[in-house]
Amino acid sequence: MEKYEKLEKVGEGTYGKVYKAKDKATGQLVALKKTRLEMDEEGIPPTALREISLLQMLSHSLYIVRLLCVEHIDKNGKPILYLVFEYLDTDLKKFIDSHRKGPNARALPTALIQSFLFQLCKGVAHCHSHGVLHRDLKPQNLLVDKEKGILKIADLGLGRAFTVPMKSYTHEIVTLWYRAPEVLLGSTHYSTAVDMWSVGCIFAEMVRRQALFPGDSEFQQLLHIFRLLGTPTDKQWPGVSSLRDWHVYPQWEPQNLASAVPALGPDGVDLLTKMLKFDPSDRISAKAALDHPYFDSLDKSQF
Amino acid sequence: MEFDLQNPLTGFEEYHFDAVSALFANESDHMPSFLDFKSTDVRFSLRRHSVFLISQVQSSYKFDGYIAYLAVNYIDRFLSKQAVLENKPWIVRILVIVSLSLAAKMRNVDLPLSDIQRDVGLNFDARSIHRMESLILDTLKWRLRSITPFSFLHFFNSFLKLGDSSLTRSLKQRASDIIFSTQYEIKLFVYKPSIIAASALLCAAEELIPLQYSSCLAAISESQYSNKEELMNALAVMREMPIEGREYYSKLTPKSVLECEHTSSQCETQDKENIKKRRLSDIRDDQTFQISQVQWC
Repeated sequence: MEKYEKLEKVGEGTYGKVYKAKDKATGQLVALKKTRLEMDEEGIPPTALREISLLQMLSHSLYIVRLLCVEHIDKNGKPILYLVFEYLDTDLKKFIDSHRKGPNARALPTALIQSFLFQLCKGVAHCHSHGVLHRDLKPQNLLVDKEKGILKIADLGLGRAFTVPMKSYTHEIVTLWYRAPEVLLGSTHYSTAVDMWSVGCIFAEMVRRQALFPGDSEFQQLLHIFRLLGTPTDKQWPGVSSLRDWHVYPQWEPQNLASAVPALGPDGVDLLTKMLKFDPSDRISAKAALDHPYFDSLDKSQF
Repeated sequence: MEFDLQNPLTGFEEYHFDAVSALFANESDHMPSFLDFKSTDVRFSLRRHSVFLISQVQSSYKFDGYIAYLAVNYIDRFLSKQAVLENKPWIVRILVIVSLSLAAKMRNVDLPLSDIQRDVGLNFDARSIHRMESLILDTLKWRLRSITPFSFLHFFNSFLKLGDSSLTRSLKQRASDIIFSTQYEIKLFVYKPSIIAASALLCAAEELIPLQYSSCLAAISESQYSNKEELMNALAVMREMPIEGREYYSKLTPKSVLECEHTSSQCETQDKENIKKRRLSDIRDDQTFQISQVQWC
């Protein structure tokens, strides 16, 4: 690791500490992620091999934070793995925060929201076409290059089996605010649609500069969703009332979604509505979202 | 979620056509580049000994052929990126053991590695083996989800529109047999995995359904991804290969292969190796190797 000069700790990732560092030879800034993977007498654990190799494969996309290399070091006889990623200066959460408060508080430019959402859908479509779910999409996991207007997906799940179709997953995966209703209701067979729900929540958050459904427990999270979108029925979402964690909820009528995102035009509201469909099989896919009229005014040649 | 060579990118149980363009875009990252160096390069003999040892171990332990195939792919990619290596028997052994271990981990299969290690006469401690594992992983940039010809079989097979599913299966099976054999044919190294897959399918079609061969050729050539000239060149090489089920195949016995191994071997502990080889080949003396004599001697 003498190749890199650690500059500062920038956070705790899903699977260990993250440092901002500089490649001494090239001056390139990188993000070093120290993994908690333990090596035993069999060498690198098979799950780590399979997942890092998948990450390596996905990292070909422009819209996924690039895994530059993997470094092993031997620290007092204890092997440690560092994943070396490209470094981006900020994330979407910090970016939205900077527009909500402080001297520069103002709405995010409409064209930028459109461009960020397009890049996000590109990245998600890339993951999904490789059979990989992110399952933890949230503004903190979307890295942003402010100067260039680039957005990339980070923190693709290491240490979590993430292939589809899924048999049974642990439920501690998606941060509550971006968690899809089928996950909250205990569905054990969920799929790519869980990421699209999160994309919808992130879209709305860019427009509103605050979270769409800021729940602080699973139950509260569902109530936030139902209050805006109406309490789902078996008619609109077949099988919902047989899901494991379904209870009897207050019967709310759907509100006008446009009122939650007043700054968004009709095409944007239409796309958001399709991302926030209750029935996962009705929810728009990332690939289909890219062709939605909302993006018609975007200059796609830059992507 | 073990790694499936026929479906390397996705965790989908069903084949996913969206992933096809990703396969084509990435396949070159998983190819060895042996053609860049001279035929006298020590890496050729390292490769020859490694492939030989793997086929011996595989026939003794009867594990999944994909593991052996994948291990050879790792060895090829490793050797084609390592500049300085001496031809020492221990290098071959540790390379084989570690590549088999990596392939087995990717396939989620337990191999009796300590038995295999003993059988091939490798006496290294775990630490050295881990160092070799790290070296291979670094060299391969951790890209262990190799895109191989198997990854394209389903895609090209779907072009043939044979309708009959048992026919489709037999064709795929025969093409797989051919692909397994292509690792022994150095003339095929220049071709991308997708070209190998397409020509293996055509080769299989020519053997199994000769009357439909030309319509198969037309269908595959129409694919936006296949270059007809490369396809025909690769096919020409494949037609000449000794593959199980072809008449001249049986002329290659373990004995003839071993003899040609001896004459070309520069290993220090040749005698010790001979005993080992004999012992391993005794177990499987009814078998033959799919090794091209021309390339190997």
